[in-house]
Amino acid sequence: MTDEPPETALPEPLTKDLGDRLRGVVGDAWVIVNADRLLAYESDGLTAYRKTPRAVVLPQNTDEVSRVLGILSQEGVPVVPRGAGTGLSGGALADSDAVVVGTARMTGMIELDPDNRLARVQPGMINANLTKAAEPFGLYYAPDPSSQSACTLGGNVAENSGGPHCLKYGVTSRYVTGLTVVTYDGKVVELGGFGRESGGYDLLGVFIGSEGCFGIATEIEVRLLPRPEGVRTLLAIFDRLKDAGSAVTEIMAEGLLPAALEIIDGNTIRAVEASVFAAGYPTDAEAALVVEFDGIEAGLAGDVERAVAQCRKAGAREVRTADSDEERLALWRGRKKAFGAMGQLANDLMVQDGTVPRSKLTEVLGRISEIGARYDLTIANVFHAGDGNLHPNLLFDRSDAEELDRVERASTEIMAVCVEAGGTITVEHGVGLDKRRYMSLVHGPEELDAMRRVKSVFDPLGRMNPGKVLPDGPDTARATP
Amino acid sequence: MNPLADLLSERLSKTQVVEGFETERWAVCGRVPQAVVFPESDEQVAEILSLSSEEGWHCVPGGRGSWLEGGQPPQGVDVFLSAERMNGISAYEPADQYIEARAGVGLDELQRRTRECQQWVALDPPGGDRGTLGATLAVGTAGPLQDGFGSPRDQLLGATLVTGDGRVLTLGGRVVKNVAGFDLLKLIAGSWGTLGMITSATLRLHPAPAVDRSLLFGGSDVASGAALACRLAQTPLSFAAVEFLVPGNEESGAGASSPLVAVRILESVDAADEAERIVSERAGTPPVQRLEGEQSAAIFDNVRAMEEGAELVLRLSLLPTRLPELVEMTSRLGGLYDPTAGWGMRLAAHAYTGVLRVMIAKVRREEAWLDRANALLGDLRRSLEAEGGSLVVSQGPPEIVGALGAWGEPGPAAQFIAGIRAAFDPASILARGRMPQ
Repeated sequence: MTDEPPETALPEPLTKDLGDRLRGVVGDAWVIVNADRLLAYESDGLTAYRKTPRAVVLPQNTDEVSRVLGILSQEGVPVVPRGAGTGLSGGALADSDAVVVGTARMTGMIELDPDNRLARVQPGMINANLTKAAEPFGLYYAPDPSSQSACTLGGNVAENSGGPHCLKYGVTSRYVTGLTVVTYDGKVVELGGFGRESGGYDLLGVFIGSEGCFGIATEIEVRLLPRPEGVRTLLAIFDRLKDAGSAVTEIMAEGLLPAALEIIDGNTIRAVEASVFAAGYPTDAEAALVVEFDGIEAGLAGDVERAVAQCRKAGAREVRTADSDEERLALWRGRKKAFGAMGQLANDLMVQDGTVPRSKLTEVLGRISEIGARYDLTIANVFHAGDGNLHPNLLFDRSDAEELDRVERASTEIMAVCVEAGGTITVEHGVGLDKRRYMSLVHGPEELDAMRRVKSVFDPLGRMNPGKVLPDGPDTARATP
Repeated sequence: MNPLADLLSERLSKTQVVEGFETERWAVCGRVPQAVVFPESDEQVAEILSLSSEEGWHCVPGGRGSWLEGGQPPQGVDVFLSAERMNGISAYEPADQYIEARAGVGLDELQRRTRECQQWVALDPPGGDRGTLGATLAVGTAGPLQDGFGSPRDQLLGATLVTGDGRVLTLGGRVVKNVAGFDLLKLIAGSWGTLGMITSATLRLHPAPAVDRSLLFGGSDVASGAALACRLAQTPLSFAAVEFLVPGNEESGAGASSPLVAVRILESVDAADEAERIVSERAGTPPVQRLEGEQSAAIFDNVRAMEEGAELVLRLSLLPTRLPELVEMTSRLGGLYDPTAGWGMRLAAHAYTGVLRVMIAKVRREEAWLDRANALLGDLRRSLEAEGGSLVVSQGPPEIVGALGAWGEPGPAAQFIAGIRAAFDPASILARGRMPQ
């Protein structure tokens, strides 16, 4: 942070009348206009971008959201929905003319129906809390983004979030069965709903992952899964990253379907081991592969045995297996704490998010490392190897404009490499502000135009989260140091 | 030649346009097209649709025409576009677990090809694998495997769609996770050809399980069978499918046949044995039949084919725990059909999702039959909708579908349906009337 004022115009305060009307809906305490308090909303998980919204409004239920949006719509004020602000693409940032509508007060469980394995929750509920609530019934919520102890289900819906276990279980859209949404003008609409087959287009499906550009989800119905009977985890250590990549290919070719297949590279291992999160991974290794199986207890031993054999065949120098939950968590620790550990290596972190077909992993990782060397940047890789989802982490210091510029240019090249290999530019972090400029790498003008048309069905006046996802308008995204 | 077929023949080769009496076999819900065209490329589809948009011709895209009687009838059909000649698997990467094919490829061919590499397409729509890839996606209906593997939209990684005004859109890609922009692919599955013609698609694949085993349990009567299906679906293990079945009379018409519950287990060898032990314990009785491998697959193919020869097919749904009530409601349908005609009435329910298919061989046609049928089904639909459920007329005599509509009330989402449609088909030429209005 610097003490200099941001280059963007200072937020225009709400008129007394508008402020009063909003306070009349949500209560005095829940309309934030104070500059100090607005600071908490100037950024999300991607710290390279900063903007201060005009105000933040925190309604507590569908009705209040509807009335707030109705008022803002009458006044022509743009709206930016926000969950916990853990997003990594700048999607929850608001320009100074826009009002943030946050879900922080909408954290409740509306209904838990264990017999039908369904839950209906408010959007501000934290992902991990849903599983906590379902646990006594032997159920859990499958999508588990790395930020699951902080991120909200509403945010997960907006981003169509994934997580390590979506290799076997799929992403958010497989679990959300119904939504109550409020559109820009305050209208409340039900989409989907378990236990009914409504004709018409899959509006629920297209709303999920729309990054707050179509409306705000105020109630979320999700499917829960029974807790798998057993879980087995193994950790394989490799001297060469490409051997870990081959192990992944071989495990999948065996017809095995692990619940998770995660790789962390040498740079990440060393960062973790140098931090308070040290997990006991050997620091001279170039890759650690975490493989997890879950399901019917009786079948797990055989799965683990076959996976261990494939790791050894691919050149693993060591394979550790876990028998107790405690040992299992220890094997995961290096993977789970990777981001936290990297935070200690540099002030800032650009977590990239791309995907390639699994068979191209090794080749693409080689090219990413070459890009890092060329731009003189430290890149640490943590990734969901099973589905080809890469997370190259570029370490930098925001106050160094020249370094930031190199990070940007390296990121662009990494995206191009992913697309060239048959992959895409974002897999679970969303487009937000940051990736708009890469959209034309994967979509032609016709496809972008089709997206624009569909957005305008939900948001004809362009009031919902303007300037996000579609590469329209000026790139006002970047805040300067 | 009729002038429409003339104009089309100018754009395509003559062998790609059929007119006259030969178009009768391509009638959609009884509406005979003026011409049937067999485009071979995206460009040809785009050309036909642009021309039709200019001329205002009503178009219906389709596959091999194996299920033209289903769904809400289109208002009119001037041109039927068949994907039959858009063939071939364009990319198959077993290591990356995807397959990309042209829309006219049959599901059977995809299954054959992927089986060679110990993989499979986890799709089991009603009717079996004789339909094309494009039609399966356009209809978007899931089968018994939905709970374990998702519906057609969940298998869809990418697609090429030619819109009503002839734009060629490449949507999605080849990778399982992808959030680069709004997920327009989701709109395509289940759009019944109203947003465009799907010309190719990429599907995700799953590894073939080591064991495919089906256990059949008998129920003494329909109510206890439905209760058993519910109980098995609530086992704290997820099976690939739990299906409640009433197969209908044998041809003799000697009263309703007894119900069955079929549990499908797709697992590794050890896990399958354990799952079998748990299911049997939970059922309280040993299975009346135990099928393995191809026989297990075959019994579920039979479940998919249960609609064959049906005059009326309804899809009823409520929350899964209410399956017994849903099944009980079918007793109200007694006056609707002739129990002595063919197999009478069949039931098949997905216990995990609470969808019950009701199949009726022959609708009874006596005096005022239509009014009675409409009143009965209308009441049933209303009571289900009031409980958060639905009734879809999947296929039926034109009189019934015409009066009731295939779909129920779309509710406030209707405003979006019209908007989405206009975004893809501004001249409104594609299968108009097939979506709820």
